[in-house]
Amino acid sequence: MEFLGPILFLLLVVVLVGIALNTTVLGRGMAMPLRQMLKKPSTSQYPEQPRPVTPRFHGRHQLNRYDDGLEKCIGCELCAWACPADAIYVQGANNTLEARWSPGERYAEDYQINYSRCILCGLCIEACPTRALTMTHDYEFSSDTRRGLVYTKDMLLAPAPEGAPDTPHRDKDVRERGHNYYGGKAVSPPGLHGGDHLPATARTMSRASQVLPMAPESEADWGDAPGREED
Amino acid sequence: MGLEENLPSGILLTNLEKFVNYSRSASLWPATFGLACCAIEMMSMGGPRHDAARFGMEVFRASPRQADLMIVAGRVSNKMAPVLRRIYDQMSDPKWVLSMGVCATSGGMFNNYAIVQGVDHVVPVDMYVPGCPPRPEMLLDGILKLHAKIRGETFVEQGSK
Amino acid sequence: MTDTVTLTIDGKEITVPKGTLLIRAAEQLGTIIPRFCDHPLLDPVGACRQCIVEVEGQRKPMTACTTEAADGWVVNTHLTSDVARTAQEGQLEFLLINHPLDCPMCDKGGECPLQDQAMAHGNHHSRFVDEKRKYDKPVAVSAQVLLDRERCVLCARCTRFSDQVSGDPFIELFERGALEQVAIYEDEPYESYFSGNVIQICPVGALTSTSYRFKARPFDLRSTPSVCDGCSAGCSQTVQARRGQVERQLARTNMAVNEMWNCDKGRFGYGHLTADTRLTSPLVRSDDDGEEPVAADWATALTRVRSILAPDGEVVPTAVLSGGRLPDEDAYVAGKFARTVLGTDDVDFRTRFAPASEGDALAALAGRDTATYDDVEQAGVVLTVGLDPEEEVPILYLRLRKAWRNTKARLVSVGASSGSLAELLWRRLPTDVGAEAAVLDDLARALDRDGDDADQSSPMVAEVADALGSVDRPVVLVGERAGDGALAAAGRLADALGGKVAWVPRRSNARGALDQGLAAGLLPGLRRHDDDTQRAEVAAAWGLDELPTRGRDLHEILTLAGKGKIKVLYLLGVDLVRDVADQRLVDKALRRATVITHDIVANATTAHADVVLPVTASQERAGTRTNWEGRRQQFRPGVAGPQLVQHDWEILVQVTGMLGHDLGFTDLDGIRADMAALAPIDTTPDWPAAADRSDTAAAADDGDDTLTADVYPLLLDNGVHQVNAPDLAATAHDPHLRLHPDDAAPLGVSDGDEVTVTGGKAELTLPVRVTPDQAAGTVFVPANSTAPDQVDNPRHLGDRVTVAAVASGSATADQPVEVNA
Repeated sequence: MEFLGPILFLLLVVVLVGIALNTTVLGRGMAMPLRQMLKKPSTSQYPEQPRPVTPRFHGRHQLNRYDDGLEKCIGCELCAWACPADAIYVQGANNTLEARWSPGERYAEDYQINYSRCILCGLCIEACPTRALTMTHDYEFSSDTRRGLVYTKDMLLAPAPEGAPDTPHRDKDVRERGHNYYGGKAVSPPGLHGGDHLPATARTMSRASQVLPMAPESEADWGDAPGREED
Repeated sequence: MGLEENLPSGILLTNLEKFVNYSRSASLWPATFGLACCAIEMMSMGGPRHDAARFGMEVFRASPRQADLMIVAGRVSNKMAPVLRRIYDQMSDPKWVLSMGVCATSGGMFNNYAIVQGVDHVVPVDMYVPGCPPRPEMLLDGILKLHAKIRGETFVEQGSK
Repeated sequence: MTDTVTLTIDGKEITVPKGTLLIRAAEQLGTIIPRFCDHPLLDPVGACRQCIVEVEGQRKPMTACTTEAADGWVVNTHLTSDVARTAQEGQLEFLLINHPLDCPMCDKGGECPLQDQAMAHGNHHSRFVDEKRKYDKPVAVSAQVLLDRERCVLCARCTRFSDQVSGDPFIELFERGALEQVAIYEDEPYESYFSGNVIQICPVGALTSTSYRFKARPFDLRSTPSVCDGCSAGCSQTVQARRGQVERQLARTNMAVNEMWNCDKGRFGYGHLTADTRLTSPLVRSDDDGEEPVAADWATALTRVRSILAPDGEVVPTAVLSGGRLPDEDAYVAGKFARTVLGTDDVDFRTRFAPASEGDALAALAGRDTATYDDVEQAGVVLTVGLDPEEEVPILYLRLRKAWRNTKARLVSVGASSGSLAELLWRRLPTDVGAEAAVLDDLARALDRDGDDADQSSPMVAEVADALGSVDRPVVLVGERAGDGALAAAGRLADALGGKVAWVPRRSNARGALDQGLAAGLLPGLRRHDDDTQRAEVAAAWGLDELPTRGRDLHEILTLAGKGKIKVLYLLGVDLVRDVADQRLVDKALRRATVITHDIVANATTAHADVVLPVTASQERAGTRTNWEGRRQQFRPGVAGPQLVQHDWEILVQVTGMLGHDLGFTDLDGIRADMAALAPIDTTPDWPAAADRSDTAAAADDGDDTLTADVYPLLLDNGVHQVNAPDLAATAHDPHLRLHPDDAAPLGVSDGDEVTVTGGKAELTLPVRVTPDQAAGTVFVPANSTAPDQVDNPRHLGDRVTVAAVASGSATADQPVEVNA
């Protein structure tokens, strides 16, 4: 029985402390840290276990490719136009029959994003007409020089899909593949025309009689122009 | 240095460098230098969620005398530039500068008369963190890269700064 | 009847002259009716139907660009009328049906009227779901112009430009209906000096430029208003640069000069700025001769210049040849430098051997109110003397053609040939090369007569004289090829008629060099060396006691240099090897004299030079240029140029400093202030009197078997503007010779046959064109042409040459021609 006294005393202390914690200002203030001490810390263990970012996170850019390895970017500079920070530099150039980087006439000869200016707003992604430019979840690209923040085309370009050759492709090979690069999204998918313009010396100007058939039989026919058969 | 003569050359100094650099990188105290929206993310970095204390830099010092690292967080206006430089000069050596966000790095989207086009026009910068604003992880990434850089430094380099 | 009409557009009343188109009347009210085919300088055609407006009381909506405003009409545009707005939206939808909408790839994207109007006035959704029309693309219409027929909206601006303005109707609309398309004739290439304009006026991306293909977007480009330095036309242009490099040049609207056009040379001739052969640092030849000059820094080069000019502290005899391209300010500095620092009056801006009398005639010209483009357009009768406008000053040709087309101006050519102007000529007065003055004097005499000595002049001369007398202000344009006394004779003729005269040189600032006194006997501000007061005035302004004694002209300078009497030739952008006709003289001079030269691009003369100083090109400097009208136009730099190049005047100021003198200025403003102190005086010298020409007339009649060479370069030759501009160079007209049918007949040659011209030791073989435009007894020889083996061809204007057909199997053709002069 001699233990009852201390037990009752302890109980009383607990009750009093409980009452103090619940009713007094000081007690309510002390309750919070006490409760938190029992919880698991919420600190993210960043370098070892980075927390996943949201699916639409705006990270570093990437220039995408079609399944056959051709680049989606056509060098139109709409991204540069949309950029509020003037962080994108694009230099367009002409695809030729020997070296084709993208479908259509034009490709990006040089493509640079200056991450010391880019605010990762994603307006360029919205502007891109071919979905060539998208954003990845990569955000670890601090650098100790400003030059190191300028990403060039080879750094931004996604690797060629497995089995697909790297660009440039030969125009003839691309035409043989007959790939529909715009996925049926355009009313008239732009063909592969413009691989080269006819040289000025050979002036075989086509008259209307040489016009293409109005309704191509298959996708492969798009852009196969009369008088442009390659040897 | 009497010891040097009795040892194969270089051993003591390199090890001392490593030791000192480790100590410096492991307790890098930042000066409070929030200039704009980036400062919110910088504060978040110091809070419990990201907890910079894990890397020995829990205390943001309000006095430049007690800080080693200046995190320039936000766009530096031309009016602020001399202030920034004065605070940098008041920091005791060795000291480092981290430019947080594109505005501090290059002026960012504010390519105008009011904003210094890159804080490196005013103070030497050791690490540039892109983003607008960079999320705390990006800042931590920059700080960790800075740590690595500090560990690789030599006394000579530090002295020449 | 009044000649104005009053109508209401969108509720606002406006009074306009009768005949004003609705679209122009609306513009005056600030209402821009959307349009594609309409162009203020082309005839209305109503091809695109985009400018539809509603006119109250009319059964259907009408096209504003073809309808003339009528009194009392109430017009409602798309701003106030639903009918007009829906009609425009529908029309735009139609135009876009076959448009490929490949704007991201298209060079016009961002500055495309079709794009803008689809955004502003279009329906944002198309109801068209079928396959679009497909064409092969792009097709090279010429080396410079690419055609994309899918994008074309058939506005016919390009074909109307070719037909109405430039007169090269090589580009035309073919076929009908959905397949209607722009094309060129299969057997005739689109060969025009003005083809670049169709690119600029194309309202869609159907015609694009090869040299600008995928180079930039409008927002990349920094535009600078500038003035072209291709010829003396003085066209306003816009230089557009990206990352410090000129990417494109456009015609800038200047209704007083080039209207809205320019020529391909002015538009595409900027490759030399970035050519491999561009001089980017000073070159100095080491002391032992024979080696090519090697790169050096400016200090070394300028020290070398000092030791060449003043080896013992005294300036050695030096001549300054300035060329006709220096801007006014640089020309002034060159003149002051020569006379005060070098102490010589041996300066000449010409690169041809001028007759001795030319100085007086030019001095008389410079003080006068000379003809302008507007005078040419309104003259009614225009006399061209020794001038081939399309090859020499193309924009002047456009203005002559406009006068011919719009006001039925009667064009008369005096001289050995008039090139493509021949198609427009009303009368032709053929002369031997350099004998134009005699015909002009005949004309003046025919005007004087009161019917009594009519028998003395030929009926043609009398007819032309009558025509000249029948209009108020006829214009006489004298080319720089015109012979001895022609300019003075033309001046006297114009004065007698109350008309105007103009001297049309080729080089962009020859007229400015004249005003700045860059020829022996002339001084800045129209002053003369032989007038004591004026000479003293200049000497006082320049702080000299006395100006150097009167100098020599180019021929004499080169002769003296060859003899070692003139030790140093200081060249300011002059390529003696290319430009001067007498190569033996040049060769001797270059070998004997020490040569210091300023130039942009390496050439044959810089290879001979001892010091080569790199200078900025026109697009890289500021200054003022005076065109053939005497119109002074300022321009400023569009790009910075290579780091180490300097302006001509900067170099001259530094050389002056090295020689211990001071020109009194160190910047452009200072030069202008200095020039202002020698502002042109008010003087109208008399034209030199007519020379007695009986002996020269006899000389032409000596009846030998030679022809006179009519030598001048074509527009696109081997000049600086064609360096590193392969697309431009590819459109150069094929070099050819021209012969009169009477001269061709004895040779048995016809169009296209190869013919050899031989003059002295030099000879040149080219295809021939047989044309009555070439005066009998003369043969046209292109100078500095793109034909191979140019170094040693006959190129002295007025040389006697023999012509022979190249044997092509038939033995009979290989005979010298017999000429009956």
